[in-house]
Amino acid sequence: MIARIEPDDRALASPLGRVSPLLKLGIALFWFLALAFTTRIGPPLALAAIVLLLAVVVGRVHPARLASAVLPLWLIALSIGAFNALFASVNTSEIAIEVVRLGPFRLTEPAIAAGLGLAARVIAVAAIGVTFAQTTDSTRLVDSLVQQGRVPERFAYGALAAYQAVPRFAEDLTTLRQARRIRGLRGEWHPRVLVGLLVLAIRHGDRLALAMDARGFGSGPRTRYREVRWTGLDVAAIVIAGAVVVGALIVPR
Amino acid sequence: MLDVDGRDTIAGRAASRGRVGLVFQDPDRQIVMERVEDDVAFGLENRAWPREAMVERVPEALHEVGLAGYRRRRPNRLSGGEQQRLALAGVLAPGPGILVLDEPTANLDPPAAAAILGRLTDLRARRRTTMVLVEHRLEAAWGLADQVLALGADGRPIDQGPTKEVLERSGPALHAAGIWLPADPPRRGQGSGSPVPPPPAPPIGLPIAEAYDTWFAYEPGRPVLRDVDLAVAAGDRMALTGPNGSGKSTLGQLLVGLLRPGRGTVRLAGRDPARTRAAHLARLAGYVFQDPERQFLARTVAAEVNLGLRRPERARAVELMDRLGLPLERFGARSPYRLSGGEQRRLSLACVLTRRPRMLVLDEPTFGQDRLGYEGLLAILRERAEDGTAIVLATHDERLVTDLARRRVTLADGRIVADGAVG
Repeated sequence: MIARIEPDDRALASPLGRVSPLLKLGIALFWFLALAFTTRIGPPLALAAIVLLLAVVVGRVHPARLASAVLPLWLIALSIGAFNALFASVNTSEIAIEVVRLGPFRLTEPAIAAGLGLAARVIAVAAIGVTFAQTTDSTRLVDSLVQQGRVPERFAYGALAAYQAVPRFAEDLTTLRQARRIRGLRGEWHPRVLVGLLVLAIRHGDRLALAMDARGFGSGPRTRYREVRWTGLDVAAIVIAGAVVVGALIVPR
Repeated sequence: MLDVDGRDTIAGRAASRGRVGLVFQDPDRQIVMERVEDDVAFGLENRAWPREAMVERVPEALHEVGLAGYRRRRPNRLSGGEQQRLALAGVLAPGPGILVLDEPTANLDPPAAAAILGRLTDLRARRRTTMVLVEHRLEAAWGLADQVLALGADGRPIDQGPTKEVLERSGPALHAAGIWLPADPPRRGQGSGSPVPPPPAPPIGLPIAEAYDTWFAYEPGRPVLRDVDLAVAAGDRMALTGPNGSGKSTLGQLLVGLLRPGRGTVRLAGRDPARTRAAHLARLAGYVFQDPERQFLARTVAAEVNLGLRRPERARAVELMDRLGLPLERFGARSPYRLSGGEQRRLSLACVLTRRPRMLVLDEPTFGQDRLGYEGLLAILRERAEDGTAIVLATHDERLVTDLARRRVTLADGRIVADGAVG
């Protein structure tokens, strides 16, 4: 069974948890964009460090939780970097300075620099993404998209309902594979299992749509039980986000 | 044409929606939001209630179903009974004129079902809402109803009117149509004249499945089964009972090797079932999952029931499907997903019964069955048991326990708390 990452209530009640999710999304995109302007290793690593520190101090995310979410992604980042360094086309260039030769592979200085730069940026993206996920309630994200971002309600709440169905699909998959086994069929990853999964997903979607319709969804104008408003916290978040990016970009190397 | 409040429901669909509240069988098919209070508010938002009114009404609706204090909880962490009461709160919140309930207690253990029926009794007493209850298991429902509409298998009404009159006038007709009547008490055995239950038969043969000191957890640190010791012998007729979430299905899946114990040992016919080849495992044990839809693997009913069968077993499948009221000439070409819930259940049972494994583990086998379906199933299971097949029933159906089981193993919170003869 796959458990979804549900942020805990302490993190959601923190100042970072109360910043508008739409704004947090905007800040994340702004930071990603800023990272595109540098190939150095220092700035993305500095940004990652600051963001994680903010997550713990301002976002009250438990450090162990944060680590268990971010470390696997960092491993992936390092392997992406290594892969890119190893197979960079610059390795075949005569001019590039060779650092080491491993059998058929020639590893050159510019390739290593590019690989490290890429890994550092993926590390920063992972830190930002995990911090967002660990401090943002999905319902509040959708409320914010609808109320502050003017995303159509029908689409936004439909997407939220679909997101909530994800653990269900994991259970469907487990049961379908078990059902094959107990009926004496080999190949728990047979394509037929995926067909079954698709059928169940469509049927679940149908039922969910029916349930939402039955409760009057889409029958006219709606009111809002939860209101998301701009607050002073949001202004502070903009100022801090700007300062962080300036601070990170002036890091040398 | 169907009219609600004098309006055609197709033409006036949007208008009628606010007037009619629907509660379905399966709670996780009707909860749409991630927090209890948000889910209750969802229907109010859709009907454009002012915010102040919602803030007042949401806790009130939760209180009406006995969920006061649950506002910030996550529905996916609630028990089945609590989820069903939440669904009821969400539907009741806007104050619908008509409440339609489709087997609302079907998936619940007896205390949870009683809690839902209790809420319906309260609602009935207030007489502000018209209730339409669609039910198979009518022990409690007969008492709730002022009016009864009984439908036959062809969808035509058999009779309609005040409950008492319908029972007097059409009792035999309803019985013949396979409808459960209030006078069908949970009985024991086939014979009507034997008030004394036969003595519990000791396990007849050698153990088929054994679990020693078995622990299991889906998530680390949250064991679903603790320290379970259990032996199932040939010819055993065992009921696994206990509240929702007590670990019945998990234990059943461990016994047939669909799950691997976290700690402890499971043996099926002397070997580790989780390491047994699928083809061999299917000869040793059959397992029917609680949700039939999730176990269908083929496009048609005929392909489904014949899946992986040897030639001589195919003749058996034809006979079995006839007895279960799903004759292949009529149902063979249909999609398993297009069957009714009760038919799907019987098809999923047929799929394992054709193989005649040495042990059958059935998760809620009588779910959604009318009396005819139930009796057909019971007769087949009794035959299998007499042939020495071990039968393990994970069920809330007390009628089935008394009719079929000889031994009852009760689970609570992942532990076996009782193991003894039925009676």
